[in-house]
Amino acid sequence: MSRPLKDTAMQERLYGMYKTFFDKAEQERRWNPLRDVPYEKISAETPESVILCAETFCLVESYLPDYVSQGINVVRPYFGQAWFAANWAYEESKHSVALMEYLLQSKRRSPEYLFDLQSQLMQMKWEMPFATSRQMTIYGCFQEMATFVIYVKQEKRCKEVGDECLATIFRLNARDEIAHCRFYQDVVKVLLEEDRPGTLADLAFVAKNFTMPGVDIVPDYAARVEVMREEGKIDRAVFFQKIFFPCLSYLEVTRQELMEANAAERRAVSNVAAE
Amino acid sequence: MFEKTATEIVEKDFKTIEENTVISDLGIDSLGMLEIVGSMERQLKIQIPDEALAGIQTVRDLLEVVDKRQSA
Repeated sequence: MSRPLKDTAMQERLYGMYKTFFDKAEQERRWNPLRDVPYEKISAETPESVILCAETFCLVESYLPDYVSQGINVVRPYFGQAWFAANWAYEESKHSVALMEYLLQSKRRSPEYLFDLQSQLMQMKWEMPFATSRQMTIYGCFQEMATFVIYVKQEKRCKEVGDECLATIFRLNARDEIAHCRFYQDVVKVLLEEDRPGTLADLAFVAKNFTMPGVDIVPDYAARVEVMREEGKIDRAVFFQKIFFPCLSYLEVTRQELMEANAAERRAVSNVAAE
Repeated sequence: MFEKTATEIVEKDFKTIEENTVISDLGIDSLGMLEIVGSMERQLKIQIPDEALAGIQTVRDLLEVVDKRQSA
């Protein structure tokens, strides 16, 4: 049975976007966490707070099996997005390897400690924060942008403390994150063309309920976040300035449009509650 | 004006709002705050740039941003 034309055209666009993403990644962004990171430039003087941040990012990235298994299934019907998810997983897998190698080679963490922590981590499972592929794609925009901003800040901090190795890892990771963010954003642009009111409603819903992955599942997350805030200076103002508004601007969504969608959603919720 | 707008939008009866009240402490989330800002922009016929909104934490912060735009 043939698919409806609209769906076929959509599939074609998503595949085209994936090809562009993939080609650029192959040409410009491929790197090897074992060979392209200058581990010989690890600084022994790096403060423990910076190391703890690296450990926390390593742990958050280590939920990859959950991110992949759940994330890829939600976009399974869309070839371009599903293949992106597979490629995304490959690229993300390098982030935790590079961070883990850093922690081990710097001897700031022992293999026993790190692998024990990894085992503890796997006792908890990451669950998708949103149910639909559209919501998860929107979530990807914010989450990848947030991770990009955090990694850029960490890179800067590592340069300040003279750790060229860790700065390189954060730079390479950040470059991947912004590429992922752009892919998600481009998909959301297509979704907005297809169904603007529905996509705006989802955009408001995701923005309202956004949390970073790792919350409540990484051991001692609250204490880790406190250290990250000190070291990376990510607060509400930064979230708005560097993540939220730039995403809206790229998507060509006005604040007003989003607020109207938010108000509509709130009215719908209160109508349901009143019934 | 903030209190009236917030009450209309969030549909809550705010007993005591002072200038140093942190907006999120009123149970108003980030998008709720943006809605309040949008409504104030319409009522006062002003436009507040996104970058000015990022640092708003308290009612006073918001009122200062509004005042600045009105006198601009």
